[in-house]
Amino acid sequence: MSSVKIEFKDLSKRYKDVLAVSNFSAQVQSGRVTGFLGPNGAGKSTALRCLLGLVNPTGGGAEINGGSYSQLVDPIHKVGAVLDSRGFHPGLTAKQNLKIMASASDINFSRIDEVLELVDLASAANKRTKGFSLGMKQRLSLAIAMLGDPEILILDEPANGLDPLGIVWLREFLQKLAGEGRTILVSSHQLAEMQNTVSDVLIINKGVLVAQGTIKEICKGRSLEEAFLELTLRKSA
Amino acid sequence: MSALLKSELRKLIYLRANWLLLLWSGIFAALGTVAPILILNSDNGPGRGAFSGTETPEGINGVFANASGGYLFALILGILIMTNEYRHGTAVGTFLVTPKRSTVLVAKLIAASLAGLVIQLFSFIFAITSGFIALTFFEPHAPVPAELLFKVFRASAISGLVLGIVGVGLGALVKNQIAAVTGAVIWTLIVEGLVVAFVESIGKYLPAGAIFGLVDVDFGENDFNFSIENYLSPGPATLVLLGYAALFSLIAMRTTLRRDLD
Repeated sequence: MSSVKIEFKDLSKRYKDVLAVSNFSAQVQSGRVTGFLGPNGAGKSTALRCLLGLVNPTGGGAEINGGSYSQLVDPIHKVGAVLDSRGFHPGLTAKQNLKIMASASDINFSRIDEVLELVDLASAANKRTKGFSLGMKQRLSLAIAMLGDPEILILDEPANGLDPLGIVWLREFLQKLAGEGRTILVSSHQLAEMQNTVSDVLIINKGVLVAQGTIKEICKGRSLEEAFLELTLRKSA
Repeated sequence: MSALLKSELRKLIYLRANWLLLLWSGIFAALGTVAPILILNSDNGPGRGAFSGTETPEGINGVFANASGGYLFALILGILIMTNEYRHGTAVGTFLVTPKRSTVLVAKLIAASLAGLVIQLFSFIFAITSGFIALTFFEPHAPVPAELLFKVFRASAISGLVLGIVGVGLGALVKNQIAAVTGAVIWTLIVEGLVVAFVESIGKYLPAGAIFGLVDVDFGENDFNFSIENYLSPGPATLVLLGYAALFSLIAMRTTLRRDLD
């Protein structure tokens, strides 16, 4: 029996003259992989940052497990997030970056080796991250997100900049996590990849929710790309 | 809080740039003691007639008062502690682990304060040792009283604790690392130095003027009419510095708590 894990409630965010997100309401069910799709500038990243308490909404709100992110006790054990391929110091090794995060939340350092293995980065554990490729940076971001072994994962464009091998690796990685019953909300432009990975879809355009449902309900026999283009272009017209 | 503080201290220890900064603080402070000894003892040096020589207690005071001069590096380290988070995008991870930003800020302020103290104690020891070594080449010289060393030590410790905090506040306010560090260097080495030296009525309330008052040693008669009498005594000077720490802590809190992390 699934329950609502993440809920956007009339979320709005305005930056001066730009309304990035407008009365956005949507739900993400537990144990599902939900694709969060939308064109560039649609408001995906802003909505996710509002959800994680990094950006202050100008209206409404977003909840995880029935409360705001800031109300979560020990949030790193509940939610893991990848928001971009930065988020670690280039002058430090992968392991040192993970140690800093782990020590801030009293996580045993033995977990660091586990997450580095999990993302296939064990061989680069002691290398400074300034020499990392974009793919390695994405893996390290995922390792940081997995540090607290969270039940919910929020990933913003995790496939950005990945080569085909990296994309295949990411797909298998997400499928493995989904198989463990974790709730995953992932934004992406890789519609073909999303079709193979997600069970539910949220589509946002110009800050407004344009569609929400299972992938079958959204696609109705079409490819996800066709459905996405029709929904976003129709709403734009 | 203790876990967060450990994490902040780990950041400080792991970064090689911070160790280089520590080394530079020692070299900078050592120049502050060694250079005046060389100038005051040169036959035709420009400083020869301006200040008392090292054969007088006032001359020795003037030399060793500079041993607290590494506080610029405590300020820079405080700035780096804050601006590194924005420059490298680590603020996102930091605030995801600890969404209560005020707790993160308190940990950063404590870490910066401790780091500032370490920088100032290191540079004090480096400068004093270098000064003693340099003096051996210019015998005879007036004795270096323990009270003088204690006063400079006190000024070093308090300024280190305070300037680390001021740096965090400045970094939170400006965010751009290069702009914040450049501004701090220009302010400390040029603007503040000139105001403290030539407009004592204002300069004594600036951080450098307050640190100067905290050192509290007599330089005697000199060509620049530069006298400790014109500056705050150690008690009020300490209060002024603590006021700066409180002000910049408040700035750090207000800017960081409200800011969107895009």
